[in-house]
Amino acid sequence: MKVAYKHLVKLLDEQPDINDLSLKLFQLGHEHEIVNNILDIEFTPNRGDCLSLLGLARDLSVFYKSSLDLNEYKDPISSLDLNFKNHSNAACPKISFLKIEIDKDISEYKDYLQSYFDDLKINKNNFFTDVSNYLAYEMGQPTHCYDFSSLEGELAFKETNFDANIEFETLLGSKINLKGINSVFTLDNKVINLAGVVGGMKTSCSKNTNTALIECAYFNPESIIGKSVKYNIHSDASHKFERGVDVKCQEKVLRRFISIVNDHTNITNVSMFTEDSKPITNHKIKYNLDKINKILGTEISDNRYKEILTALGFLCKDSIEVPSYRTDVRHQNDLAEEVARVIGYNNIPIVKLNIPKKPNKEVSLENSIRSYLVDNGFYEVINAPFINNNHSHSIKVDNPLDSNREYLRTNISDSLIENILYNEKRQQDSIKLFEISDIYTFNNGNVDVVTNLAIIVSGRRGSNHRDFSLKLDEKYLEELFMNVDIAIPVAINKIDKNKLDTKVKAPVFVFEIEVKNFQPKVLHEAPKLLDFLETIQYRKISDFPSTFRDISFLIKEPSQIDILRETIGLIKDPILKDSFIFDYYNDEKANNIKIGFRFIFQSYETTLTDVEVNIIFTNIVNMTKAIDGIEIPGVL
Amino acid sequence: MSSDIDISHPELGSQHPINQMKDSIMDLLESIGFDIINGPEIETEKFNFDMLNIKKTHPARQMHDTFYVNSKENVLRTHTSPVQIRGMLENEPPFAFISGGKVYRKDDDATHLPMFHQVEGIYVDKDVTFANLKDIIYEIIHSLFGKEVQVRFRPSYFPFTEPSAEVDILSKDNKWLEILGCGIVNPIVLENCKIDSSKYSGLAFGLGIERIAMLKYGVSDIREFYKSNLDFLKQFK
Repeated sequence: MKVAYKHLVKLLDEQPDINDLSLKLFQLGHEHEIVNNILDIEFTPNRGDCLSLLGLARDLSVFYKSSLDLNEYKDPISSLDLNFKNHSNAACPKISFLKIEIDKDISEYKDYLQSYFDDLKINKNNFFTDVSNYLAYEMGQPTHCYDFSSLEGELAFKETNFDANIEFETLLGSKINLKGINSVFTLDNKVINLAGVVGGMKTSCSKNTNTALIECAYFNPESIIGKSVKYNIHSDASHKFERGVDVKCQEKVLRRFISIVNDHTNITNVSMFTEDSKPITNHKIKYNLDKINKILGTEISDNRYKEILTALGFLCKDSIEVPSYRTDVRHQNDLAEEVARVIGYNNIPIVKLNIPKKPNKEVSLENSIRSYLVDNGFYEVINAPFINNNHSHSIKVDNPLDSNREYLRTNISDSLIENILYNEKRQQDSIKLFEISDIYTFNNGNVDVVTNLAIIVSGRRGSNHRDFSLKLDEKYLEELFMNVDIAIPVAINKIDKNKLDTKVKAPVFVFEIEVKNFQPKVLHEAPKLLDFLETIQYRKISDFPSTFRDISFLIKEPSQIDILRETIGLIKDPILKDSFIFDYYNDEKANNIKIGFRFIFQSYETTLTDVEVNIIFTNIVNMTKAIDGIEIPGVL
Repeated sequence: MSSDIDISHPELGSQHPINQMKDSIMDLLESIGFDIINGPEIETEKFNFDMLNIKKTHPARQMHDTFYVNSKENVLRTHTSPVQIRGMLENEPPFAFISGGKVYRKDDDATHLPMFHQVEGIYVDKDVTFANLKDIIYEIIHSLFGKEVQVRFRPSYFPFTEPSAEVDILSKDNKWLEILGCGIVNPIVLENCKIDSSKYSGLAFGLGIERIAMLKYGVSDIREFYKSNLDFLKQFK
């Protein structure tokens, strides 16, 4: 909600500066941003009472004195004889109507009304609607204005179930089809207003309206919620009614309405109709300061407790009477929160808590598998479970994000195949992935769950010279688990790449198994935990292709190998992404060693040209060939 | 010349950064005294909402926020709190539980995903206070971000805690960053779990793992965690 600082401070006796006010709003739990002296406040859903200047000033009055005095019409108001029936008292337990007649056009608005439109950049409509909108901003209670001349017939309110679509034209000019249960106002059984959300075109006020009927109601939030989303109409009224308005404020609001109209023009006739389905009494909570201090861990005094609650509008006697606008306060914990907000959460002491420590637990099977795979060069992935195809046991999402994510997956392997394709497109030629996840299916009316492990491999066994020319295959997977005495108890599938969207021919091998059926004889140690205070700074990934260059070094003296590696390690360039030894050959006859180094280049900003790569590559060649005892055959 | 020079080095992979963060936070909480409990990702509305005092009128229960499955018979859990409900129903106080795992909400943009991870904790005993809650929260935050970090508690609203708070830390560029939500367990929730709220009180807290990981690693787009890009995963060895 946007609130102009200058409008808010008018309701406070003191005039705090905006920074001081901002700190107090944060302390009270009203998160906000300030731009050009406009506070954009995000109220928590339980604080519907704060969605107005008055509500906010009421909360702030615990810090800044305020009389909260809005000028209301004080004279007696005659009773209105209105042809109205309320068929759903549960949905609308309180409602009032004000008939108001004026005798001349309004040429200009008073400063306070004009300022509302100017400062908050709100468009004007017609006089009565403008007053109604301002009043919602000032007092938090939405009202709806009908042109009285359009209301010939029986006016009624009802919460009803529309079996067929009922077309309704809103005052915004849009047409919506009402279906299902809706709270509506009808005129001779025709819908003229979607209650609490938006009024109808046919009965709305215009610039020519001289006599208006102002509706001011309390709607049960349950009868309003969901309608604005259902019909895609996000009105200020629905936002307020969904969060709950003051159940007792109707007459006060309508008297203020009269007062504002009176500020602008001559009122020739005013009368009011009120229907109270049942008397509403304020909620009371037992006075129990000891409980409050036990909840918070504080030592608040009796006087301070009463002072805080009184300043917030509560009545402190033998029990604590909650004001009608605070529908969120129902028990001692709610009162404790009121106290905590006012004294400041940061001022509540810290009291040491000692929870009895438990003995260290053994490593879990899942973590043991995780750790073993990581130690053998596998990367763990996590995939979202939403997919677009189903089989007979798939669980269907009733309200998917889109049609491509309509079902929950029934295996992990398909996700891993997608991961392989994604990485192949990014020039990865050695891919070893695994995922452990719960898999949910629907069987015989029940939701079943299993925890699965899936492992997938493709490409080179590794970049290391021992693995570089070896391929990842069934044999690799079998040997990997043979080392920990597990025979893979399921088939290892070779994926037919002709059926996949890829030009990479490297075969893909995958298997999936329930974790509980994959028991090693000895559990591997637990995965390494993070040192939270160690800084790991993530480097953004390049979206541009990489390229590589190889150098074959001829080394006479083995001790020079380390010097070569150190020298290469010292070469830093933004486009040099990686380097590793992919080939090693000890030629004992010739008494020398041949080492193949691969250098990977990639830019974060562009696709590299040969010229750009050659500049850094030449630098690498020059630095390494300068090392004593190292030659680069073919390079002088 | 010797032929057994070994210039190879073991090529390690890595645990997923989110699981690393989740497991490390859960290990930290276990060291404080919490026990790990687990629960299903497909839940009933009763456990995901009703037992937690999330009323039918709460926006979280609308179709645009929650994934419903099986013809609205079930939901994909929107938080790990239902696991704590199950834990409370099966145990008598005092107890201290943590639960962690995947949760689901109907969001999809650079800062929100339909699937993300949470770790939540609950401790119920006699005379547990907000002052005790602050002690636990400070211990968690100091472990994660160091003892020098400035911490701020702000009033907030969660239907299952009262009073409720959100906790921020002050970043190096002087901005307050939200880290976790917490509060005193709403007595309605205790009573829903057959725990006498006149005898017992509790504290609860929850952390979004992706949020902590994004802050710790400087990842600005949450979607990076779930592309399974090896160039990304290799950075978390």
